[in-house]
Amino acid sequence: MLTAGPQRAVAVKWRLSGLGRSLVTFALTALVLAVITRRTEFAGLAAPALLVLVPRRRSGPATIRLTLAEGARQVTENEQSAVLAQISRHGEGTLRLKLHPAAWIVPGSATLGADGWHRVPFLAQRWGLRPVGTLEGILHDRWRLAEGRFVADLPAVTCLPVPARLDSLVVLSKLPARLGEHAARAAGEGTEFAGIREFVPGDRQRRINWPATTRRGTLQLNVFAAERAQVTVVLMDVSADVGTRGLSSADLAVRASAGLASAYLAARDRVGLISFGRRLRWISPATGRRQAERIMHMITVDHGDGEPLGMVTRLPAAALPPGALIIVVSPLLSLRLIEALRELRERGFATIVVDVLCAEPDVGSGLLRSRDRAMARLARRIWRMEQDAIRFSLRELGIPVATWDGISSLDEPLAPYTRRVLVNRA
Amino acid sequence: MRAMTGITGRTGARIGAQARVAVAVTALAAGTVLWAWLPATGAAPGTRPVLLVAAFSGIMTVAQLLTEPSRLLDTWSDARIYEGLLPAFARRLWPGLLVLPWAQAMTVAALVLEALHPSRPWHTVVLGVVLLGFLVALHLAETAAGPAVLRPQVPLLAAGLALAALSAGAAALPAAGSASDWPLAVIAAVAALLVAVLALPI
Repeated sequence: MLTAGPQRAVAVKWRLSGLGRSLVTFALTALVLAVITRRTEFAGLAAPALLVLVPRRRSGPATIRLTLAEGARQVTENEQSAVLAQISRHGEGTLRLKLHPAAWIVPGSATLGADGWHRVPFLAQRWGLRPVGTLEGILHDRWRLAEGRFVADLPAVTCLPVPARLDSLVVLSKLPARLGEHAARAAGEGTEFAGIREFVPGDRQRRINWPATTRRGTLQLNVFAAERAQVTVVLMDVSADVGTRGLSSADLAVRASAGLASAYLAARDRVGLISFGRRLRWISPATGRRQAERIMHMITVDHGDGEPLGMVTRLPAAALPPGALIIVVSPLLSLRLIEALRELRERGFATIVVDVLCAEPDVGSGLLRSRDRAMARLARRIWRMEQDAIRFSLRELGIPVATWDGISSLDEPLAPYTRRVLVNRA
Repeated sequence: MRAMTGITGRTGARIGAQARVAVAVTALAAGTVLWAWLPATGAAPGTRPVLLVAAFSGIMTVAQLLTEPSRLLDTWSDARIYEGLLPAFARRLWPGLLVLPWAQAMTVAALVLEALHPSRPWHTVVLGVVLLGFLVALHLAETAAGPAVLRPQVPLLAAGLALAALSAGAAALPAAGSASDWPLAVIAAVAALLVAVLALPI
């Protein structure tokens, strides 16, 4: 549902159109050549251009009335949206609208609907608070000799990242005593069958397992697993952004975090977010639709709030409730974060890292001397060994590292951990 | 990543239509320059540089038509830290070149090229028709409009072309081109004044 915004007056600047300028040049050149060369045919050549220029009117509307529809201010990456504009008092000529896009905006062709609204479609190709650009209107008079232009700034849109797909969740073996949807090891009132045991007075008779009772000769009872909710904290590391734009480490981290948060919230879990960027920001774990909106907003828009990263010595305790599963989405380039992960593990948190580093430093591409190139190769090898050492040390600490390429589903890298029990020592 | 929707499909169709219009404009530009240059023999000295200017202006006009200003936006300035001096200069020069009035330069060059040849009235009129066609086609291509928008101008264009044909006929008469052609100079001067008045900023 769209609501028309306030109507505003926009000034129009009139000048000779491209066709008008070309005709003037044509006529003047032909006349000058006629005089210089004393050739009658050149004077005649100026006649069509002169005749077309004669009916030009000097006046056009000095202002037009522009109304922009207050449409969806929130879009998803590569999702088509549109600017809707209604323009009145533009006179008898033709009107053409053109979107001059800002970075990461792909404009489409403007069309005029039967309701009198101009629809200018666009695609936002990258997440973030994105200015759409400016809307230019070009008016032509009936004779197409005068051209009026007006420009209007368009409001920015919030472009949400496309969440990475995740169907199978990593669930801890020990879950906090909070009603949820994950089958726990403890017996309870869930729906998943966990085993049978002997009947004791006070048990519900409808749970008696009659075939087992017949076999064993004593009353046997069905036991079901308890259903508990998990507390999941996603740690999104966007402190470094390396790689191809659109598939950089920050792009992947943002999409993976959005996918993880959405999947766990859909399973009625309590989900929190720690954004490890220029500043440290966090949202304490909670559940529900409102929490999903808060998380997506924090992932997408950086308002510059939070603690400066230089002042942070450890991750905030308020965002890390005991017994929580910590999923870290990071390119593992920040030594400060790696220290924080070690400290997390020491505090007993079950932690898993989704590695989103899919680029190498571009060293040596512009070097000409073979010795320099060899040095660049050596530097790259040392860098690779350092990265391998970081990942090895994390695995040694009991923090699994799964690499995600940003293209496939998140299920692929996390598959080994969805069936293996992650132990929380808290 | 989700597949791109609607706009890319429409962009493909738009590129197709743009290509067709660009081909038409290119053909008309090439026809204009070639017609003004022919016959290659018997022209006054200085034909070659003017021909080069006309051809280059024609090429730049088509380039102007095919290049959307939005594509020239510097989206990734940080990606060009290691860019060489020459590519950086070329990248900055190109948008500057594209804003020059190449169509008008081509018009002037084509007419001068025609004037460098000996008098041939009907050839000149044909050149005028082709040049006018090129300018109109270019305007339609630039504004993405159909030929119907120029309907009000058709009678005026027809009348103008009739006058051009009349002038060519007059020039072809044996008496024309003699020393007593001062009325032509007066009429041309008055017409030039008229054009200047019409071209004054709105």
